[in-house]
Amino acid sequence: MLRPFIEQIAKIYPTAKRYLHVFHGGVFPKYNKELSANQPVRTQIIPNKLILPLQQQVGLAAEVLVNVGDYVKKNQLLAKSSKDPKKALIVPMHAPTSGVIESIEPAILAHPSGLLDMAITLKPDGKNITIENVLNVSKQPIETPDQLKDILFHAGIIGMGGAGFPTYAKIPSRPGQIHTLLINGAECEPFITCDDLLMQTQADEIVQGALITAKALGSSKIICGIESNKPTAIKAMTQAAIGTIVEIKTVESVYPMGGQKQLTLELTGIEMPHKTHAVDIGLLMMNVATFTAIYRAVMFGEPLTARMVTVSGLGFNKPFNSVAMIGTPFSELAEAAEPKSKLDYPLVMGGPMMGVKVKDNGVPITKTTNCVLANPPEPVDMQMPCIRCGECMDACPVNLLPQQMYFHAQAHEFDKVEKLNVFDCIECGCCSFVCPSHIPLVQYYRHSKSELKEIHAEQKAVDLAKERHEFRTARIEREKAEREARLKAKKEAVKKQSAAKPADNPANNADTPKKKPASSAAAAAARAAAARRAAKTNQDSATGSTQTPETSASSEEKMPSARLKAIEAAKQATQQSAQQDLEQGSEKTTDPKVAARNAAMLAAKKRAAAKKAEKVAETESDTSTPVDAVNALDTEKPDQTTIKKDPKQAAKAAAMAAAKKRAQAKIEKKANAEKPSESVNTTNKTEDASPSQPEPSQMVDLTQQTTETDASRKEAARKAAKLAAKEATKKRADAARVTKQQAEAERAETIERTGQVDPVTDKRNKAVEAARQRAALRKTQKNQTNSDE
Amino acid sequence: MIEAILIFLGLAILFGLLLGYASIRFKVEGNPMSEQIDKILPQTQCGQCGFPGCKPYADALAEDKTEVNLCIPGGNEVMIQISEITGLEPKQMDETATETKTKETAYINEDLCIGCVLCIKECPVDAILGATKLMHTVIQQECTGCEKCVPVCPVDCIEMLPQHVTPKNWKWPEPVTIKEASK
Repeated sequence: MLRPFIEQIAKIYPTAKRYLHVFHGGVFPKYNKELSANQPVRTQIIPNKLILPLQQQVGLAAEVLVNVGDYVKKNQLLAKSSKDPKKALIVPMHAPTSGVIESIEPAILAHPSGLLDMAITLKPDGKNITIENVLNVSKQPIETPDQLKDILFHAGIIGMGGAGFPTYAKIPSRPGQIHTLLINGAECEPFITCDDLLMQTQADEIVQGALITAKALGSSKIICGIESNKPTAIKAMTQAAIGTIVEIKTVESVYPMGGQKQLTLELTGIEMPHKTHAVDIGLLMMNVATFTAIYRAVMFGEPLTARMVTVSGLGFNKPFNSVAMIGTPFSELAEAAEPKSKLDYPLVMGGPMMGVKVKDNGVPITKTTNCVLANPPEPVDMQMPCIRCGECMDACPVNLLPQQMYFHAQAHEFDKVEKLNVFDCIECGCCSFVCPSHIPLVQYYRHSKSELKEIHAEQKAVDLAKERHEFRTARIEREKAEREARLKAKKEAVKKQSAAKPADNPANNADTPKKKPASSAAAAAARAAAARRAAKTNQDSATGSTQTPETSASSEEKMPSARLKAIEAAKQATQQSAQQDLEQGSEKTTDPKVAARNAAMLAAKKRAAAKKAEKVAETESDTSTPVDAVNALDTEKPDQTTIKKDPKQAAKAAAMAAAKKRAQAKIEKKANAEKPSESVNTTNKTEDASPSQPEPSQMVDLTQQTTETDASRKEAARKAAKLAAKEATKKRADAARVTKQQAEAERAETIERTGQVDPVTDKRNKAVEAARQRAALRKTQKNQTNSDE
Repeated sequence: MIEAILIFLGLAILFGLLLGYASIRFKVEGNPMSEQIDKILPQTQCGQCGFPGCKPYADALAEDKTEVNLCIPGGNEVMIQISEITGLEPKQMDETATETKTKETAYINEDLCIGCVLCIKECPVDAILGATKLMHTVIQQECTGCEKCVPVCPVDCIEMLPQHVTPKNWKWPEPVTIKEASK
């Protein structure tokens, strides 16, 4: 009723035709479809080479399964992704024809950027040897969406209308979720006729493909929308749809009728809400070409390796449509269309409204390329300032405000552009088409979109960085707190120990003063004995023993005899006065920090010693250590007593002990240099008859202490041991001298006791320093060698 | 007279209670200004401002304890925003503050890396992966490009490289504007 009237008006006011369709706006460009639509579909061209980019429209790049030089047959799998298809959105890639893989190297993509990306180059042999039914389909009717999805995934089918979203990912898994299936046959872009020709020639396949999909998805309705300017296609499709649930609807010829949202509105009257997918409202629209691909995949197990392509444009003498292999270079198709002049201008991928100029005419056809367009360059209309006429607003098919978006985009106020829903823009180009000032509006929106995407990505990165930084700060805090807690615990343990010791020591001290004046010779003897024992402990400390105090404590507890106490006192005296390598152990009791450091330093060695310790523990601790200890002490006692009798002899003995110790120190040094001190332990053990005490407690220590192995620390320990050994010999000589006069010895002892700690620590610090320097030297050497390499 | 007094007394009590309630109900925890500033800071955590991270700088700014022009990665833009939020006088950026350059991320030359873990300790966002004496590498998605790891490397094997342009992050160029075209 309205139509004849509007058609009359349209003669003088063309945009009056906008009243004939449902969606807003739209434009009526010159279609030029007859250029290619009237030509028969040409036979497939086998090009000289096929370029198959690994990166497809959506998702990441696929992984190559073939090697350079391989011979592949048609439909053979070339690349696929090892990732979960549910997440990765990467479809496999198949060989469009038989031939040899020539190279796998970067090639220019069919992308507006003209960037290079990895691509497989296939040299066809022209024989077209095919693997039939490569997907292994059994022509059984497909009942569930998942079955269909599986086939579609393996067939590598993606939306062939434009966006190239993998079809399997588009389909919902729940049967019956899609109540209406929509077939998009509204090819609205000027020049393009591939869908038109496909509908004319393969209407049955399209309808069957749609029916297969509808059956699998449980849809009860199929609507096919075809623009009124394709009468032959409408006829063919109606013919094919007879007796099926497919309903053919003729829609107005208006650009952009083929847009998914526009055609959905036109066919169903449903306007898709912002940010929803058609699937959410029970609709699913696919291009006619996709349905043919589905049909071929489900019925014959054929993957998607070719598609109908329009080669058209004002620059061609013989435009045509043809089923082109995916990967065919644009230039080869263009040459087949006999260009009017040399193709020194860029070809366009897609139509004149939405298509993009490719950077190189050798780029390949992709699964979404529907047109290769050659329009000779025309003088560009000069861009003028916006006159705020509002034409663009009237033309916009998605009801946006192009003018406002343009102003903000120009001012780089991208947040405001986003607020104006620029992401709803389908980049159809209607606004640019109608703009009397020839402003390339769509370019502004595309630019804004990419800027906004970057801004969003940056925002995400910023949030991530913030989160990670906060986590790191928290972690460092926590570690610090933990370290402090550990240190505190250790300190307390040491305090307890030292608290326990004074409890014993008073008794000792009470005893020793009594004893010492009474039998100072005994004290000297005890010292001598202790010196020997220190030789023993020497090994222990070299092996990193912190146990001396513990052992003494335990022995004190278990054997509270006066004799033992005396020995203990002597031992303590020697620990400080004789100062063999013991200082490491004894100082641990005095300085918890140093103790911790030492423990860390020597823990590695301890670990090595653990095995030995275990063995010893097995053999010795089996027969109750305390008793052993008593025995051991008893065996020492006679020595002490003999020495006690004669101070001179004592001195001799001390000298001998010193000599022994020197020898031990040497061995120790060697052993340390070669291997961790477990070897030292053994050698010493063979020499000494009574080394039983330290081991069990050593074991305890081992379990208690967690440590880090560090080359520099080992080094430090070794150095310290060396220095300590030297120190010990010196001191022993002193001790020998001292033993001649007991009173003097007493004094010397006290002096040493008070005075020696500092020099020793000094020395050790020096040793550590030296070790550090050495480590640094080594490192630099290593670095040098590394960098030399 | 008495009615008027009663009415005003009543009103005074009522509003007093309302205000008292509101001050409890709508109490703002922390310093909102610091949060606001933290939002606009680039979160590279580079420490070029002299603070250990972006948040501490924001806190200091909120308490008016520092200058507004210390965020070098943020550049002039962020400085102006900060001065707007804090109400402080905008100050000229230091000369070192270069023009907004493209984002760069750190790459470790894995052949040269000696596994010293110095860069791992330095990284403010834990974006470097590795262990002692083992090769390190940078998790590109998490690198903020703060360049903190570059000076600490003893073998100088870390370099800052701009991001690769792929079809994924490629941006449509901005159309030439009329003014530019007429020039």
